[in-house]
Amino acid sequence: MSTLSADPQRLATPPTFQKVGAARRFKNGLATTLVWGSFLVAVVPLVWVLYTVVQRGFPVILDGDWWSKSLSGLLARQQGGGAYHAIYGTLVQGLVCGVISVPIGIMVAIYLVEYGGRSRLSRATTFMVDILTGVPSIVAALFVYTVWITYFGLGRSALAVSLALVLLMVPVVVRTTEEMLKIVPDELREASYALGIPKWKTIVKIVIPTALSGILTGIMLALARVMGETAPVLVLAAYAPFINFNMFDGPMASLPLLMVNERNNPTQAGFERIWGAAITLVLLITLFNLLATVISRALAPKTK
Amino acid sequence: MKIQRHGAVLGLVAASALLLGACGSDNNTAAGGSTPASGTSVPVECGGKPKLNAEGSSAQKNAVDAFVQAYKAACPSADLAYNPSGSGAGVKNFNAGLVDFGGSDSALKDGAETEAAAKRCQTNPAWNLPLVFGPVAIGYKVSGVDSLVLDAKTTAAIFSGAVKKWNDPAIKALNSSAALPDKDIAVIYRSDESGTTDNFQKYLTTAGGWTKGDGKQFKGGVGEGKEKSAGVAQAVGSIDGAITYVEWSFAQDNKLSTAKIDAGSGPVELSAESAGKAIDGAKVKGEGNNLVLDLNSIYGTKAAGAYPLLLATYEIVCSKGYDADTAKAVKAFLTVAASTGQAQLAEAGYVPLPKAFQDKILTAVKAIA
Repeated sequence: MSTLSADPQRLATPPTFQKVGAARRFKNGLATTLVWGSFLVAVVPLVWVLYTVVQRGFPVILDGDWWSKSLSGLLARQQGGGAYHAIYGTLVQGLVCGVISVPIGIMVAIYLVEYGGRSRLSRATTFMVDILTGVPSIVAALFVYTVWITYFGLGRSALAVSLALVLLMVPVVVRTTEEMLKIVPDELREASYALGIPKWKTIVKIVIPTALSGILTGIMLALARVMGETAPVLVLAAYAPFINFNMFDGPMASLPLLMVNERNNPTQAGFERIWGAAITLVLLITLFNLLATVISRALAPKTK
Repeated sequence: MKIQRHGAVLGLVAASALLLGACGSDNNTAAGGSTPASGTSVPVECGGKPKLNAEGSSAQKNAVDAFVQAYKAACPSADLAYNPSGSGAGVKNFNAGLVDFGGSDSALKDGAETEAAAKRCQTNPAWNLPLVFGPVAIGYKVSGVDSLVLDAKTTAAIFSGAVKKWNDPAIKALNSSAALPDKDIAVIYRSDESGTTDNFQKYLTTAGGWTKGDGKQFKGGVGEGKEKSAGVAQAVGSIDGAITYVEWSFAQDNKLSTAKIDAGSGPVELSAESAGKAIDGAKVKGEGNNLVLDLNSIYGTKAAGAYPLLLATYEIVCSKGYDADTAKAVKAFLTVAASTGQAQLAEAGYVPLPKAFQDKILTAVKAIA
């Protein structure tokens, strides 16, 4: 028996394609090169940008003053001061924008998924949200400028910036929340109904908690996006080198605005402030993204 | 329970925001280092609106920064934000009532601009106060030539391409002792829109028979454009045979040689005194406290020892019509700017106001109600 097959691996008939042809090897090589090439094209600038920002900005943010002082009363060429005023502006504008847009966004998404169905209103809403998603930030800023400043005659303020950011944030929140609510299995809702639970209670106690981790991730990502927006702050808020805690009146700095402003400053101090603000903004947004991950991990539905 | 955890996170964020809110500080005096040397001291009545808001010409940004430093030293709780977004934006936002005063390279134009400004000031006229003067240097780099004299006519010829060589007879006639090389002149101009270009071309039109017109774009039709003052100054520093016009501070920072200007009564070197002399001779064509300058009286000056190539920038303020708080703070700021604030200007590349002119401005500021 053992003599019959000396090599158990040997095939009965030789394979049709014994060798890979030159054309196939060429195609394989080409495809590999293209895939790796596009990977490099995508990654190299990203790493380069990150490296430049860290290399030039990191020494600046190590100074304690950077986190606790403003640039008030400093000449362009004078070293020192900090970005406290801009960090405060960016955070408070982002948070107020979040406080306004998150409830609106979530309620719209709940309507679309749970109540709207295929009704005309719901289709119109979806259409509008889609259009709003594509609105460039400068258009949102100019719209708020027209309504808030030209029409109502209210001054430029941080609140106006937040309102423009709301226009940018709401569609993103609606979109992500909608997707998250859609993937909540219908069985959960039906089980709840079967126990005689009213619809609103089902939504509040079953549907939203199940989708909460995804919704929060979406909100954090949307926040991270709007905090880096430059057009609204350029149009709707004047830069101030001092700390302004008042959202409703007066100029207020933010990190993108600080960078735009210091670009006119050709001295070494200006150069350092730009890169310092850049890395601070990157760090803030990274922090928000990390927070999103942590929260979504913590709130993820237990699958067992 | 999950909702509660969410609440805890929010609480944490709020707490950290509060913490951040508690420890910020506007006090940079230790970092600033140089305490402003006291110039002419004039009593300042501090108070009113704690944080003023102004916007306009980028040419006076560094001067306003110095004024703010002096203002904060005189009135510790006061502050001012100046956005250097350009003269056009400064006038527009002043007229729209978005800022307390505007900064501009040129006075308000008669007609729509002046009317809009009067409307913003509750039907009171707006005043143009020329508070910041920046001399424009003719910077050059020619190896072996340390001292160069130009007059407006020759300068116009160089910047319009009529004179192409450094050893051209027109230049030789003014510089008999200099060893001028047989080298092409490389004209460098501002490629972006600039009040400096505008003033330079106006000067050449008034004094040098320049026929190409003025405006914020360079119209000479020769040479190479560079972006911003820093760009032109760097370019001249690195090209042998180059010449440009640039704000004095940039010529100093880049260690360019600056040409002396001969306006008919001998070559005049650019210095704070020679520029101050030209301001002294300036005629005001506005009425009363509206100190609109007749620029031709500066550009065309023949006074001995006066350097005529200056950029004058105005603060545009309401004569009346501010609310009481704002008026008080605007007056305090402008008083400091016209007195103690002048001390640091020479260091920043501007000309401190001569005494007579300073008095005119202080009188106008006092009259703001």
